[in-house]
Amino acid sequence: MPEGALSGIKVLDLSEDIAGSFCARLLADYGAEVLKLEPPPGAALRRLGPFFHDDPHLEKSLPFLVLNLNKKGATLNLATATGQSLFRELAQRVDVIVESYTPGYLASLGLGYPQLQELNPALVMTSITPFGQEGPYSQYQGEEIVSYAMGMIMSISGVQGREPLKHGGFQAQYQGGLFGAGATTMALFQQQTTGLGQQVDVSVTECVASTMMATQTMYPFMGGTAVRRKPAGSMFGHPMSCADGWIIVQTGGGAEWEDIAGLFQSQELLEPRFADRAQRAQNGEALDRVVIDAIKGRSKWELFPQAAKSRILFGVVQTPLELTRCPQLESREFYREVEHPVVGKVRVPAVLCNLSATPYQLLSPSPTLGQHNIEILVQGLGYSQQDLCRLRQLNVI
Amino acid sequence: MPKLPLEGIRVLDSTYVFALPYAGGHLSDLGAEVIKIEGPGRPDVTRTGGYAGAFPENTWGEDWWNRPSTFNLINRGKRSLTLDLTDQRGRDLFRQLVAVSDVVMENFTPRVMRGWGLDYPNLKKIRPDIILVSNTGYGHGGGPYSSYPAQATTQEATHGHCWVTGYPGEAPSKAGASFVDFLSTWTAIFAIGAALRHRLRTGEGQWVDIGMYQTGVMFLSEYLMDASVNGRDGGRMGNRHPSRAPQGCYPAQGQDQWITLSVGDDQQWQALCGLIGREELAHDPRFSDVLSRLRHHDALDELLRPWTAKHDKYDLMHRLQGAGIPAGPVLTGRDVHFDPHYRSRGFLERVTYPTQRQMGARIFMGRPYKLSETPLQIRAPAPAFGQDNGPLLKELLGLEEDAYQKLAHDGIIATAPTSGEPSPTTPPERSVQTGALGEWDPHYRERLDL
Repeated sequence: MPEGALSGIKVLDLSEDIAGSFCARLLADYGAEVLKLEPPPGAALRRLGPFFHDDPHLEKSLPFLVLNLNKKGATLNLATATGQSLFRELAQRVDVIVESYTPGYLASLGLGYPQLQELNPALVMTSITPFGQEGPYSQYQGEEIVSYAMGMIMSISGVQGREPLKHGGFQAQYQGGLFGAGATTMALFQQQTTGLGQQVDVSVTECVASTMMATQTMYPFMGGTAVRRKPAGSMFGHPMSCADGWIIVQTGGGAEWEDIAGLFQSQELLEPRFADRAQRAQNGEALDRVVIDAIKGRSKWELFPQAAKSRILFGVVQTPLELTRCPQLESREFYREVEHPVVGKVRVPAVLCNLSATPYQLLSPSPTLGQHNIEILVQGLGYSQQDLCRLRQLNVI
Repeated sequence: MPKLPLEGIRVLDSTYVFALPYAGGHLSDLGAEVIKIEGPGRPDVTRTGGYAGAFPENTWGEDWWNRPSTFNLINRGKRSLTLDLTDQRGRDLFRQLVAVSDVVMENFTPRVMRGWGLDYPNLKKIRPDIILVSNTGYGHGGGPYSSYPAQATTQEATHGHCWVTGYPGEAPSKAGASFVDFLSTWTAIFAIGAALRHRLRTGEGQWVDIGMYQTGVMFLSEYLMDASVNGRDGGRMGNRHPSRAPQGCYPAQGQDQWITLSVGDDQQWQALCGLIGREELAHDPRFSDVLSRLRHHDALDELLRPWTAKHDKYDLMHRLQGAGIPAGPVLTGRDVHFDPHYRSRGFLERVTYPTQRQMGARIFMGRPYKLSETPLQIRAPAPAFGQDNGPLLKELLGLEEDAYQKLAHDGIIATAPTSGEPSPTTPPERSVQTGALGEWDPHYRERLDL
């Protein structure tokens, strides 16, 4: 079995949400040995749908199944003194802890970063929270839509005159996970070179904000505030309806305007009123009509390769089902198959990127609740099987 | 003070546009020496055209190519070298730089580096433990789209983002920004950290091959699972949540001001009824449980709008959060500069330019994370085009003065781009009229103390 880039790194994943789980999964995907520690009733993520065959079973949450691949799992009740003491033992044996509790919660249990650092000076603790560890809103409650709003992106998403628009799914949470994993590997590199441990304080809202390059800098450069697009006359460059779905086309790249007119087989697009960017903006509503008319009988799958031949920047709006059958993703081996003890064989989105010497490996499905309790507590920490029974009675595991 | 995480690491950053250039900026914050390489006739598009962002005081200035806001945000802290890689002499110098670097980043279409003999097998011959990071639209390899032209704003359709984004029952919608670029930015940072650690332990370098498309698809993982096991094809639900209600974006007091809120359980709902002075709604059978609230969401929105519209968006956030309800205002690019939380965390940093740059001081976003033991900051402004040609070629590579002058004479290096034009500027009052800008504040410099 080839080594992963993070082989030998031990991680405790305390997170119950998408962001922290995704962060720890990425570490696991590239070789780290990750143990997910859940409270005895199971991480909150186990209750998030959609579920396998719409069965709301703790082992069938699809977000949980996909975000905890390659991890082991054990349960531990951190609200009990016994749970805390077992946790301290585990924390001394790991390189990284990933957590996403409300700032101050772990400290209130005596398990805050400074306390853990005393036990394990080289520990890296990555805390991913809606607003970060400090600051006036740090105790406020986060939600996907709240990070989206406060991260500026909603102010430019949607159309003018209507409410700003959140993107679909949990993009902010995934950003928190990926950006957090990036910051974590950097802290880990430092740990490995200097022995220094530290807390990595990730704010999901700031993750969203950090992508708003033009939006943020416009104000200190010239006093402007970016805004959502106009409701009419601005379709070009946005999804436009064709025979079997939607497409997006843009100027720029290696193609000329004539190439786009050729792709759409439209003489009208060659008229002087559409000749340059300024003209097209001015005659935006007419342009929208001409393009929509030209493509209404065309297929997105016919246009996509044709556009590529002419070096036109072009996209087809793909649906999730189409994405599960995508030949490009197939060629990159993006999906992998895994056998889960409860749901059976499933195909999962797996590979973030290719590392030539230390490739992605799918070694295990997401853990079932408490699956590795014996391995961790008996084989790992040296407790007896009887101790395990006592811990169960005390609701510690 | 302990040294920064990447102190002593040298990165050759031969990348353009947003994704990897921004990764380079972040690596510089972390302490790496990042050398941005551009062709004399191929300046980064964030210096020219529509990607450049805004100019200081909306004026080009003499060296317009060094002044655009987007360029300056993402290339902070780097050194700048111009080098014509289409010329053999440029490529030779590039190879000499590879020999003394740890990481190389590039985002040419797959055939380019191969054609120049600068692909991974060749770079590895120069420096066996080199880490090469390639970012392309669809990733390298033999896949059908690998050679397709791509950029974030068309890819967001293809990677599924548009399909799940939009007002309910209406057409798919766009992100409003180059969304997927930043997923590649952070995939690169993650992979570089992992690859550096692997190299430290084994002495082995490697090639990191990132396809932006793939990173975007990854962010829809639960939709893909739902499609593959339940046959369901996603869709658009606007600002709503599959299981929380009410959730939405509601008008607040003032022009184009908005508040978001999200009610997750019955207790929060009861608290909300109290806040809006309609305690009786908590027992209204249309709204008393979450399933009913999800069914009657339109009616809920109608009830909430008149209340939110009467209050300031910040006031709403504090009152809702005070009652235990997740809520936050829609912040604009202007708002964040005055928000007490952003201010207290120091997310926005002040960067002062050397006098000859005539840029004064500007405010830029730092990083979305903090390190407790090694606080980071933007270490220097983005460089002027070719400003480090001399030190890098003469001191680092030991080039003689004559040879250096010859390179300048032959246009292999330069301190001004030989192609490209500044993006046109429009008077801000007119941009507000046409709807290209939401608002314009002529007093921004006083307000930001610039």
